[in-house]
Amino acid sequence: MTAAAAPAVAQSTTPPSAPLDSAPGGQPATSEEPLTGGRPGSDFMVDTIKALGFDYVCANPGSSFRGLHESIINYGGNEKPELITCMHEESAVAMAHGYFKIEGRPLAVVAHGTVGLQHASMALYNAWCDRVPVYLLLGNTLDASMRAPGVEWVHSVQDAAAMVRDYTKWDDTPVSLPHFGESAIRAYKIAMTPPYGPVVIVADSELQEKPIESHGTLRVPQMTLAAPPQADSAAVAELATLLVAAENPLFIADRLARTPAGLARLVELAELLQAGVISTQPNSLPPIAAGRLNFPNRHPLNQTLRSVAAIGEADVVVGLEIANFFGATNIFRDQLERSSRSATKAGAKLVTITAGDLIGKANYQDFQRYTEVHMALAGDGEATLPSLIEAVKRLITPDRRRVFDARGSKLADASRAALDRARNDAAYAWEASPISTARFAAELWQQIRREDWSLVNGNLSGWPLRLWNFEKSYQYIGVSGGSGIGYGMPASVGAALANRKYGRLSVNIQNDGDLMYAPGVLWTAAHHKIPLLTVVHNNRAYHEEMMHLQRMGNRRNRGVDRAHIGNEIDHPAIDYAKMAQSMGWYAEGPISNPNELGPSLARAIAAVKRGEPALVDVITQPR
Amino acid sequence: MVGGWWLVASGWWIVAVSGFRTRGLSIMAIAVTAILGAPALVAQTPSPASTPAGSAEKGRQTFAKVGCAQCHGLEAQGSPTTGPRLGPGALPYAAFSRLVRAPRVQMPPYTEKVLSNADLADIYAFVQSRPKPTLPPLLQP
Repeated sequence: MTAAAAPAVAQSTTPPSAPLDSAPGGQPATSEEPLTGGRPGSDFMVDTIKALGFDYVCANPGSSFRGLHESIINYGGNEKPELITCMHEESAVAMAHGYFKIEGRPLAVVAHGTVGLQHASMALYNAWCDRVPVYLLLGNTLDASMRAPGVEWVHSVQDAAAMVRDYTKWDDTPVSLPHFGESAIRAYKIAMTPPYGPVVIVADSELQEKPIESHGTLRVPQMTLAAPPQADSAAVAELATLLVAAENPLFIADRLARTPAGLARLVELAELLQAGVISTQPNSLPPIAAGRLNFPNRHPLNQTLRSVAAIGEADVVVGLEIANFFGATNIFRDQLERSSRSATKAGAKLVTITAGDLIGKANYQDFQRYTEVHMALAGDGEATLPSLIEAVKRLITPDRRRVFDARGSKLADASRAALDRARNDAAYAWEASPISTARFAAELWQQIRREDWSLVNGNLSGWPLRLWNFEKSYQYIGVSGGSGIGYGMPASVGAALANRKYGRLSVNIQNDGDLMYAPGVLWTAAHHKIPLLTVVHNNRAYHEEMMHLQRMGNRRNRGVDRAHIGNEIDHPAIDYAKMAQSMGWYAEGPISNPNELGPSLARAIAAVKRGEPALVDVITQPR
Repeated sequence: MVGGWWLVASGWWIVAVSGFRTRGLSIMAIAVTAILGAPALVAQTPSPASTPAGSAEKGRQTFAKVGCAQCHGLEAQGSPTTGPRLGPGALPYAAFSRLVRAPRVQMPPYTEKVLSNADLADIYAFVQSRPKPTLPPLLQP
């Protein structure tokens, strides 16, 4: 009897004549198939991006735009644009947001069309609300037969821009390279026509990676920006008549100064009329503008620190690019029964000049409550001011000039008194620990006042606008727009990137909670050598929400003992200095002794002047 | 977001009769109208006879514990955006108590259920004990 034969060794199904690198069932590689070479479509995309003049492209890397990424760094030489490595797409968009508000030109951002856009969407909403153009390119693979199984499917979508269409100005999904060229240029033009806003272009992966030769002759179309829209000339003339005849005209400016010219024009108009101006007073009641630096804070006609009285005295109130005119002219009461009443006196005439009347989307309610006004001038505020100034000049008589001068003198006295009161108020709790926000602001001012400084983020309970001297438009660039928390740190890095070439000292007063949304942007700042002084306003809680919980607890007679639950950022306390050091920053803190604050800030500023980002963690009073 | 209201530090109450329209009802309320930038409460000399005894030290702790410090600061120094300075030179106790128990403006109400009269007296003693500072060099014009 013989032993059972050993089972035959399993044989490969690959025919013996097949080349070694062919997979079972796959197309065999042949010597005729090209595997390299040919200029890819993404090179043309970079030609278009360069023609638009972007200095930087912010991106967290993604396979859906691998072609574009490679073209940027190799074909494009990683120069104009330079690729900025971001650790979160929200940071990438927020960096572009902050950059624009300093530079006046947008940055490009690239992201996955699905998961990347989902991350970026809140930052995009902030930019939309803040009227800032962000230029967003999305990677996607529309042709299902070209998607590799797995990740490329979950990263693909039929209509990539759909999820953000409610808060972008325009979007397109080009299907050819010539189409891409035209849409890319058109998108930039639309983004940069007031009212500014974000735009989206989908850069399909097949367009990126297939050779250019298949698309025929390509050229980048010429870019021509639209002149900003001005208000109707008859309406401007009527408004001029109203203003010259008014007893107490008042301007409330929000996002008026798109450029430094806007600030200069408002100063000219206010001085011509000796009219009061309210500008950039965040978080006050009534809630007023916080959009841009429209007017120097120590100008004698600036009435921001006595805004409630000024609004109550005015017989003509003109809102200049103001989103929340209802909030500025009404007082809203948040008790068990919500209510509101007018903040203006009986018979006061309200007027708006805004490009916001030229555009509107309905789903997201950032347009604020409807305000009944006497006149609504649809046009860009900054672009309309020159014609309004000329119309006013034509109407002023010597008699009216005398009335204006007397009014201006009273307004100057009131403004000075308000500034004096603010200084006196700042002295209370001067030696307190945790450090008072007034002391914080005063110590920081002492360190930066002789520098060419730029407050790129933060309002510190309104103290800088009371104690510092804001004269130049880049010294204050407003807030997030959509109140999407997490804006502050990345927007500061973006703004500091813009300030870098001018040698300015960028200063970020950074809320602790806001920093923790995507702290990886600290690494981006260190990696790209972006000098930035960040001083953490560390009150160890989400205090705004804490106050809301207190309101609810008291309203329900349950007290506030537990209002800290879900709101405190403590136990353990976060060590922001260590966190920043771990990502390459110079950092000190936590500082809780107010007498140590000045020297610590001085050391941090020395580091920033060496070209490094620097952070000081300051333990503060709640507000 | 919601901020605080301010009372004028000019030596007298500013009182306005204001109409708030709320869901079809018109409420005439005595509202203390504020001028932003002048955050101290009106200075009046409290009447000793009408002021209950309280402990400033206990009041400091209660002030923080029941959340007053969230808007007014741990030293009752106030904040431009959330709540006025409460001392020194506080209101007469009766007026202070009315404002805390039944605020007419933005402040959340503190009924006796959540803040006893004894605790309120301690808080009052605390805010009255706050020192009036001199202007430090950094704040000199």
